[in-house]
Amino acid sequence: MFQYFIRRILLMIPTFIACTIVVFLIIEITPGGPFDQAIMSAQQQQQVSESGGSGGSDKGGQQIPEEAKEALKKYFNLDKPLPLRYLHWFGNVMTGDFGESYKYSEPAITVIASRFPVSIYFGVIGFVLGYAVCIPLGLYKAIKHNSVFDISSSLLVFIGYAIPGFAFGALLLAVFGRQLGWFPIGGFRSEGWEYLGTWDKVVDQLHHTVLPIICYMIGSFATLTVIMKNSLMENLGQDYVRTAFAKGLTERRVIFVHALRNSLIPIVTGLGHAFGLLLAGSLLIEKTFGIPGIGMLQYETVLNRDYTVIMALTVIGVTIQLTGNIFSDLLYATVDPRIRFR
Amino acid sequence: MASSIANSTPAGTPTSQGKSLSLLQRRIKKFKSLKRGYYSFLIVLGLYAFSFILLFFINNKALIVHYNGEYYFPVFKEYIAAKTLGMTEDGEAPVNFRKLQAKFEQENGANWLVMPPYPWDPDERDQETKIVDEAGETVNYPYPPSSTHWLGTDPSGRDVFARMAYGFRVSISFALLLTIINYSLGSALGGLMGYYGKKIDLFGQRLLEVWSNIPFFFLVLIVSSIIQPSFIILIFLLSLFGWIGMSYLMRGEFLREKAKDYVSAAISLGASDSQIIFKHILPNSLTPIIATLPFAIIGGISTLVGLDYLGFGLQGKLPSWGEMLQIGNDNKEHLWLLLSPIGAMFITLLLMTFIGEALREAFDPKEYSRLR
Repeated sequence: MFQYFIRRILLMIPTFIACTIVVFLIIEITPGGPFDQAIMSAQQQQQVSESGGSGGSDKGGQQIPEEAKEALKKYFNLDKPLPLRYLHWFGNVMTGDFGESYKYSEPAITVIASRFPVSIYFGVIGFVLGYAVCIPLGLYKAIKHNSVFDISSSLLVFIGYAIPGFAFGALLLAVFGRQLGWFPIGGFRSEGWEYLGTWDKVVDQLHHTVLPIICYMIGSFATLTVIMKNSLMENLGQDYVRTAFAKGLTERRVIFVHALRNSLIPIVTGLGHAFGLLLAGSLLIEKTFGIPGIGMLQYETVLNRDYTVIMALTVIGVTIQLTGNIFSDLLYATVDPRIRFR
Repeated sequence: MASSIANSTPAGTPTSQGKSLSLLQRRIKKFKSLKRGYYSFLIVLGLYAFSFILLFFINNKALIVHYNGEYYFPVFKEYIAAKTLGMTEDGEAPVNFRKLQAKFEQENGANWLVMPPYPWDPDERDQETKIVDEAGETVNYPYPPSSTHWLGTDPSGRDVFARMAYGFRVSISFALLLTIINYSLGSALGGLMGYYGKKIDLFGQRLLEVWSNIPFFFLVLIVSSIIQPSFIILIFLLSLFGWIGMSYLMRGEFLREKAKDYVSAAISLGASDSQIIFKHILPNSLTPIIATLPFAIIGGISTLVGLDYLGFGLQGKLPSWGEMLQIGNDNKEHLWLLLSPIGAMFITLLLMTFIGEALREAFDPKEYSRLR
């Protein structure tokens, strides 16, 4: 077991390198990178100054001096071949240097660190509430299988499948934010939040939290509830449950002590992956609500072609996901003694 | 699990005609008996088939024009100059058939034309309808829903209902094509790994681990923001990573099926690898494909909507629900702009979910027995 996880952790390294190579390669070979953009903006500036000075000659201003181009190439490290560039970047990352964001002129890691708390805030609340709702709901649905409650709540589950969280969010914002004015129309906090009193701070924060959290929960609601229900149903048909009943235990004790423990296994093993999602934030929901988290940062970096931040985000994303996978297996082995990894 | 039923049931159950049904026939029969799923399937199938002749129902070109004794079928033509049909003041511009219809009616002559029931094109700006409010001021785009525009127009004056209807075809076609490619790739690669095992499997597993950990949605955003993909290229981009899920399932199926006696029997009879794969194992491994199909289509529709919503999808090349959603989100005061795409998406995905549940029950049944 121990050996297995050591091996898994060591295997993370080649996987990590391969993933970053793929992303690095793709963003390096696609045109329109920071270098092209710098050239373009330089050309535009020249054109503007030319046309302002000499009365709009179209021919001039197209050429940028070779030396300037070379200097720019050097600045973006483009004078070196691709593998060297990757090694250069990788070496820097290993020393904790992710480079400077082109857009914000700050270290990429600082930019990302400033966004993380926001995503984690929503991630953790959505995650906890999601489990707190879905586990009891799935449980009750399994116990009351085919009852009116089961069937009517299944309708909710179907709706959960059929409507993406961000689309529902847009609707909630329009109705409860814009039309009725019960909630703010997006954002993480109100402007001037720092100057509010403690109590007002909390109220304002909660006020901005309700609608996005509903959307975060919708995403996992349907799947989690169904997993919980099916898992318990499956366990209730097992021999050990029959034995427990035969011993004369009460139904309550059989379900909550014997069956429930085993039926939580698939839920618990999902935690590892949920952990990754929790840190990554949701691009679509954050964009809908204008929440400045990691997802929003992804969107902005793509728009701005902020390649250093893109690569830093990739490193963090891949690391989180790989750790999440191992964490998931570890949980699996812990809660289910039948599982033995070799 | 379902495939074990396939092998343990010798000849199927006899029916009233005394004929035995194959496993597939029995599953289809079961699916048909699940009314909610089956009717949802018929509705989606019907709507999708209908969406291919939408041209004749929602369009701004006339179906038939009778002008000066000659017949024209503009609906099949890219372009007819206005002066050809007597609209001399518009010259070389394309004919505005709604105007032409009004003109013909006014003349009350032998000329006539038949318009589609809903005479608006999804990409057309309505420049004819003028709406005046109570105060006598002209209302600008977006127009609210009315009898002319059932669901109003968007801020650039395009008809929302027409866009929604054509968006259905785009969404389903996109998701269907994407799913077919993902499933073919996933089954082929997963099947290879499961069937040949050993080094191929080991190598494939490593490759899968790398491939599945790449933040692919992010990568698609990056590439898509640069190359502004067309319909086909977007599908290509997404299918580069979309096959992974199916390959896991098919690898498992092939691993399990290969260990069974009927495969050993086929091998000892001298069947070739391709015969065993395609004639023996594949037909027994279709359960994961069929049972997950509607959910994969839901995933495809949602992905396209998400990409278009962010502005990194088809980018205005085709009418799309995601773009409509984005427009609705930017114009929250005009609720119909938001409700139309959300409603369309909700109904489509809900029907798909119903189909998916029924298919799963028919193809991958789980019997729950309970003591109390």
